[in-house]
Amino acid sequence: MSKNSSVLSRVTDSAVVRRTKSVAKDTTGVAKQLLRSTGKAAWIAGTSFLILVVPLIIAMDREQQINELESQQANILGTPSAHSIPLAN
Amino acid sequence: MATMVPPIPTSDEKKNHDVKVDYSNLPCPIPFEELHREAMMSLKPELFEGCRFDFTKMLNHKFSLNHSVSMGPIEIPSQSAEVIKIPTSNYEFGATFIDHPRLVLLGRLLTDGRLTARLKYDMLENLTLKANAQLTSEPHMSQGMMNLDYKGKDFRTQFQLGNGALLGASYIQSVTNHLSLGGEVFWAGQHRKSGVGYAARYNTDKMVATGQVASTGMVLLSYVQKVSEKVSLATDLMCNYLSRDVTASFGYDYILRQCRLRGKVDSNGVCAAYLEERLNMGLNFILSAELDHKKKDYKFGFGLTVGE
Repeated sequence: MSKNSSVLSRVTDSAVVRRTKSVAKDTTGVAKQLLRSTGKAAWIAGTSFLILVVPLIIAMDREQQINELESQQANILGTPSAHSIPLAN
Repeated sequence: MATMVPPIPTSDEKKNHDVKVDYSNLPCPIPFEELHREAMMSLKPELFEGCRFDFTKMLNHKFSLNHSVSMGPIEIPSQSAEVIKIPTSNYEFGATFIDHPRLVLLGRLLTDGRLTARLKYDMLENLTLKANAQLTSEPHMSQGMMNLDYKGKDFRTQFQLGNGALLGASYIQSVTNHLSLGGEVFWAGQHRKSGVGYAARYNTDKMVATGQVASTGMVLLSYVQKVSEKVSLATDLMCNYLSRDVTASFGYDYILRQCRLRGKVDSNGVCAAYLEERLNMGLNFILSAELDHKKKDYKFGFGLTVGE
């Protein structure tokens, strides 16, 4: 038993194991930090996108739809309509 | 909400401008204090937090009343980095008299005791008197200001007189068809401060570039590119030499048929958007959002404007 434990302690105390342990600890630390900062960056980018770009896309899409509708109506009526169509939304 | 986009001239006109500058027939420049107005329009929308409701009633074609209710937190300036907000609610009553185009009288009264009065009167064809007053219930916070503007053929000049022995003068002159240069001096007797400032503005139909320096250490550069009649992109850079802070921002301004959308990002980590949606004639819906990632301060607001 004592021989066994001494072998175990010799293994755990060996330089290789100790270095492996510290490297593993460092790697997990760095990975955690990286994950956290990536998450933060993603959060900032995502919320900024939501605020700045999403309304723009929606507004431009609707504008295009109105334009299409207008040109369609102009085609049907055969006269170019100068005014916008009042939309009740 | 007027669009500031001038009509695009034909190429013939442009060529003529390029060939020869008629120095005796230059256009009148923009007033000195409105030098950055295109950039301000897209980069400084009136962001707010909470809810607001504005109602304007025209009693006749010269006189109108307006009522406005706003509710929401208000930020209190503090030394610490933390943001302190207290909830407030306000009602504002206002009256406006416009005798177009010579006289404008405007008064606003808030429930917290603030009173704002404004006057603009064209005394002569070229001479305009402007007066502003703000009265509050707190002592030493009331302000008064009087401006005298003279508009020449290719220059503008302004004299300013305010309380606290504030004196100021500014002058701006068109140098070529596109370029105008100006300067200002001011003296604040109460704070024993004085200063001078210089500004330049270059505008064509597609872009506006301005620069301003003042002896207070402020440097402001702005550039606006009009991509089309409905879209403009703006960027500005503001440095304060004495307090050593620099801010750069970039913004867009989309004027669509049913809405106007403005957005900006700046180097302090703040991004903001302001949407004005026209629901019906005289009925506007406003959405305002501002995210300050650095301070973790998020402001959202919505509002309704009725009548105009």
